[in-house]
Amino acid sequence: MNKLTLAVPSKGRLMEQTTEMFARAGLAVRKTGHARGYRGEIEGFPEIEIAYVSSSEIAAALKSGSVHLGITGEDLIRESMPDADTRVSFLKTLGFGFADVVVAVPAWWIDVATVADLEEAALPFRRAHGRWPRVATKYMAITRGFFASKGFGDYRIVESLGATEGTPAAGTAELIVDITTSGETLRANGLKILDDGVILKSQANLIAANAALWTPALVSVRDTLVRRLSA
Amino acid sequence: MPAETTQKFADLEAQAQVLMSVFTKAGHEAVAPAVIQPAGVFLDVIGEDLRARTYVFTDPDGTELCLRPDLTVPACRLHIARNAQAPQTAAKYCYNGPAFRIQPHSDDAMHPREFRQAGIERFGDSVREAAEAETIGLIVKALEAAGLKTWSLHLGDLGLFRSVLAAAGIPPRWQKRLAEAFWRRDAFRSELKRLTSAPGASARALPVELTAALGRGDNFAKENAVNAYLDAHGIAVIGTRTVAEMTEHLLEILADAEAPPLNAAAARLIESYVAVSGPARTAGTRIAELLKGTRGGSGLALDAYDRRLALIANAGIDLDRVTFSAEFGRNLEYYTGLVFEVTAPGLGPGSPVAGGGRYDGLVRAAGAGVDVPAVGAAIHTERLLSVVSEARL
Repeated sequence: MNKLTLAVPSKGRLMEQTTEMFARAGLAVRKTGHARGYRGEIEGFPEIEIAYVSSSEIAAALKSGSVHLGITGEDLIRESMPDADTRVSFLKTLGFGFADVVVAVPAWWIDVATVADLEEAALPFRRAHGRWPRVATKYMAITRGFFASKGFGDYRIVESLGATEGTPAAGTAELIVDITTSGETLRANGLKILDDGVILKSQANLIAANAALWTPALVSVRDTLVRRLSA
Repeated sequence: MPAETTQKFADLEAQAQVLMSVFTKAGHEAVAPAVIQPAGVFLDVIGEDLRARTYVFTDPDGTELCLRPDLTVPACRLHIARNAQAPQTAAKYCYNGPAFRIQPHSDDAMHPREFRQAGIERFGDSVREAAEAETIGLIVKALEAAGLKTWSLHLGDLGLFRSVLAAAGIPPRWQKRLAEAFWRRDAFRSELKRLTSAPGASARALPVELTAALGRGDNFAKENAVNAYLDAHGIAVIGTRTVAEMTEHLLEILADAEAPPLNAAAARLIESYVAVSGPARTAGTRIAELLKGTRGGSGLALDAYDRRLALIANAGIDLDRVTFSAEFGRNLEYYTGLVFEVTAPGLGPGSPVAGGGRYDGLVRAAGAGVDVPAVGAAIHTERLLSVVSEARL
């Protein structure tokens, strides 16, 4: 029979936490072939093949249905597919990989506490600088969707692939949309989260690809796996 | 939809020749701006909504570029490049070429990712209404030359809206804010509601010790008070925004708190104006009624409205085909005065066959450094071809 492919993060903290989670459920995960390989298996689940994939590529694999299941952060899913709810199914939150996607502005902007205040402050900013405030982020789709839902359009996105929280101080953006766990890094960079600026409270999820080929046998393997992880 | 068959390609080419020949005969020079444009000027001018629909990419040395989402901004850049010393020089251009937009829902025949615009732009005209009426007249002439028989013309006027705000007798800073919010219907309504009910709401969220300090001394002292407050709380000033800018904004917020709410009559006038919609001649009469008894200032804009309508009639356009809507023009951010659209039966209201207007601020934003009177319009050539071909069947 065809195997069920489960994509898990190939490195970093998310990979360690994924392995720990399987261990807690009494499932031993091991790599097949040589130690640096990108395939693995779960002991006692011969129907499942594990693919070690980088977190950002897991979203793409789930989108296309080239894997059946994947473990990754909701933030990465939402960013890479605006129509996530039709393309994938969130089967289970996993209790790790917590990250809030937030809007943060310089803490000294005492006239700005909400998105509505930001909209008001954007007008005099444009008069003074000849352009709209810039938002540094790697979450371009999430940012657009969130601001559009608030009716705020007077900004310009600057794509940032790292050290986003430093961009306001560096003068390359006025505010940011980024992930935070404790808010400590934001504070250290002179930023504050807007009162209504928490866009998404993300964590790692077990996610199913709706576009993958789901035979009745694979559906039953999926259900067994979810039951074992929930026990 | 891009021409997928050689027949359709040939038809589009033939149609473009007809359109361009009408434009060039009227004294518009044919130009071909670059398809790939620097992204910055578009993104600063058109706002994030259209940016989300613009194909932006980075070349190997890090320059942000885009596939042009329209030909108006490229035409402005071309005009500036040619007249760097005197961007106010009068000039008339026409073009025919592809533009590109991401279609968030789907790439259908009426909303293709890649489409060809044929259009005209004119810069530096001092006689505004005449330039506008000529532009409309020329677009209609070109559409008819290409075979379009049935059409209607819809007008809007953002200059008239600003005059109505002035006539309503409200403080200039509120006029400015309402005019800027006009682009977004919801933001506009909530701003109008805020000014009518609780203009002081934002001020209540500010720290009391700071608002007290901002009530004393000159602007320099006020800015120092903000600095002192930030120092006292150990908050570092970072980024491009300055303390002077924020102080000014804080003072605006406090002034709002002092000011009496917008009076009901002024709010009613604004709402009644925004609701005006109908045949262009009766709309003019209705606006004149609304403005009767208000302070002066609106007379000029209303005169311009009437004068423009007369000029449009002189250009050979049957005014029975012309409607006006005060709200029209809201999602077209760079227009500053007249806006217009030509629609054809069968295409639906969301798919005009041509559109344009006045955009006096765009040439400055594109790098000229000064405002240059500018008016222009473009024809959506695939839509035109589809309407005309259907009619021939």
